Amino acid sequence: MISDRLRQVILKELQLDDFPLAEETTANQVPGWDSLSHVRIICAVEKEFNIRFKSLEVLRLSNVGQLQDLVDKKIGKSVA
Amino acid sequence: MISGDHFPVGLEETVWWQWLSHARLTPEREAIIHWEAGEPPFRWRWGDLISTAEKFAHGLYINGVRPGEVCALIIRHHRNFYPVYMGVCGLGALPAVLAYPNTRLHPEKFRAGLEGMSRSSGLDWVLTERELEPVVRPLVTQSGSTIRGLQFPLEWSAEILASGASQLGTDRRFPTTCLLQHSSGTTGLQKAVALSHQAVLEHIRRYGKSIGINQEDKIVSWLPFYHDMGLIAAFYLALTHGVPLVQLDAFEWVAAPVMLLETISFERGTLCWLPNFAYHHMADRIHQEDLEKVRLDSMRMFINCSEMVRAESHDRFLQRFQFLGLKREALAACYAMAETTFAVTQTPPETAAQVISVNREELARGRAQLETTPEKARLCVSSGAPISGCEIRVVAESAEDLTEHCVGEIAVRSVSLFEGYRNNPEKTAEVFRHGWFLTGDYGFVHGGECFVVGRKKDLIIVAGKNLYPEDIEDIVSRVDGVLAGRVVAVGVDDPATGTEQVWVIAEADLNGDHQKAKTQRAIVEAVMQIDVTVGRVFLMPPRWLIKSSAGKPSRKLNRDRALTELLPVRKNDV
Repeated sequence: MISDRLRQVILKELQLDDFPLAEETTANQVPGWDSLSHVRIICAVEKEFNIRFKSLEVLRLSNVGQLQDLVDKKIGKSVA
Repeated sequence: MISGDHFPVGLEETVWWQWLSHARLTPEREAIIHWEAGEPPFRWRWGDLISTAEKFAHGLYINGVRPGEVCALIIRHHRNFYPVYMGVCGLGALPAVLAYPNTRLHPEKFRAGLEGMSRSSGLDWVLTERELEPVVRPLVTQSGSTIRGLQFPLEWSAEILASGASQLGTDRRFPTTCLLQHSSGTTGLQKAVALSHQAVLEHIRRYGKSIGINQEDKIVSWLPFYHDMGLIAAFYLALTHGVPLVQLDAFEWVAAPVMLLETISFERGTLCWLPNFAYHHMADRIHQEDLEKVRLDSMRMFINCSEMVRAESHDRFLQRFQFLGLKREALAACYAMAETTFAVTQTPPETAAQVISVNREELARGRAQLETTPEKARLCVSSGAPISGCEIRVVAESAEDLTEHCVGEIAVRSVSLFEGYRNNPEKTAEVFRHGWFLTGDYGFVHGGECFVVGRKKDLIIVAGKNLYPEDIEDIVSRVDGVLAGRVVAVGVDDPATGTEQVWVIAEADLNGDHQKAKTQRAIVEAVMQIDVTVGRVFLMPPRWLIKSSAGKPSRKLNRDRALTELLPVRKNDV
């Protein structure tokens, strides 16, 4: 499940009032989420959660669920 | 008029013979170093690279490809892309690299674009990956198609590739044309530029001289090969001069921009071409802790090209990475286009691109007048003097030459100028005047150097990628609620990212904020289908858009009106 906190960071960065972000949502389905804004989103997520992603971790993400899992892992939350 | 000097290339020379001579003379020297995130780099040496290219040439030949036929290559970052491309050249066929469709691009839009290119270029073969077959196959089977077949060379077995290279012989004949380059676009507006072996070789030698290329150089690039900067400045320049090319994947670099600096540091790179936005992208998006082992002191030149060069971008980049050994004099600039093979002007090595301060208001009136008061000034970055074999003029609308410091359209004449857009005499006639190519860019000359300050044409350039407003307007016109034909798409400078942002201004007969927001979202989503991100959507009441004398909404006038009247951001803008 995508946390409200992560959802808000993504939507704010994309200047969207609302968009249904699910685990299987991919960047190409979300208005404004292109390769350049992807890096902006990643930076915003790092800042929000006070975490750092490695380049390879970022490159291997293929949907929002995986981003959520990575965030959870970094902040020490167990991933189901 | 300002110009460089001359030195000729023999008529019999081809790029293939040039590459072959490197393989014979220096078979163990590194030719291409292929980088992929998380993998050890794959290092092509000249001997292996050319023998593999010969095998692919043989494979293409037994699958029906003949000299002079056009082969579109639609292949992602792969270590075998290079010998496939070179194999096409070795066979005497004409390679044309096209962008592999992004997942955002709707298959129908991609197919329409490819169909347009097929019509304009007479594509004979598509060399691609199996995953793309369902999308491309219908183009082969439809009546009237020029495309004769699909080939999947990355899957070819050892038998296809084995041994037969010698059958091609060493006395093979090459057509005059070397390669095709296409402009971007999705609705069949793409133009194909055909370049001869002579034009390419002339250009590579002269351009190489202008940047002082030498055997100690190593080019590092993430630029895609469907872009002239990636194909000519990185690929052809490296391979023809026999200096190593280190190639990264564009998508990986965008997502993890530190990769370029890590690679430069590891490989001791010396030359790198970048569009302006890349300077911002790296300065803003790379973490300090990722730079611990990075050094940039090997770099001779970072060459800013293919977008408007901004002084602020160079300053930000230098301030951010100077501690890694980056030198100010490594910040160079170039003015280039596919029609002249690549470069028109170039700043010299070991000299930072000159920056001058001109009066903003005078510049808008067409005169570059030096200005010392910062509030009144616009900083303009030099793109350098014409390279050898190239001449530029700055001309008025009336075609007369303008004097130094007057802003006008830049016209170019060059020994490596294209002969025209393939199968498009009308468009060709539009851009040539008495042997001079009218670039559609505005600029002025100061101290013998060229300063590009704007565009006459409506083209939008986002992150180095050319977008045609027509493509975007066509899609937006079909969105429910938008008045058909009452749309303009324009590019607006975005200082934060160092590139342009796409704005859509459309007339719509809508009631209420909810309906407006819904339509704005629908427009953004519709334009995503052609892999374009819209920065702002302005929905305006009927008859808001200003028409040109031809009766169509004027992009320039409406862009200016939007900048004046619609900023700051309105509540319902996206």
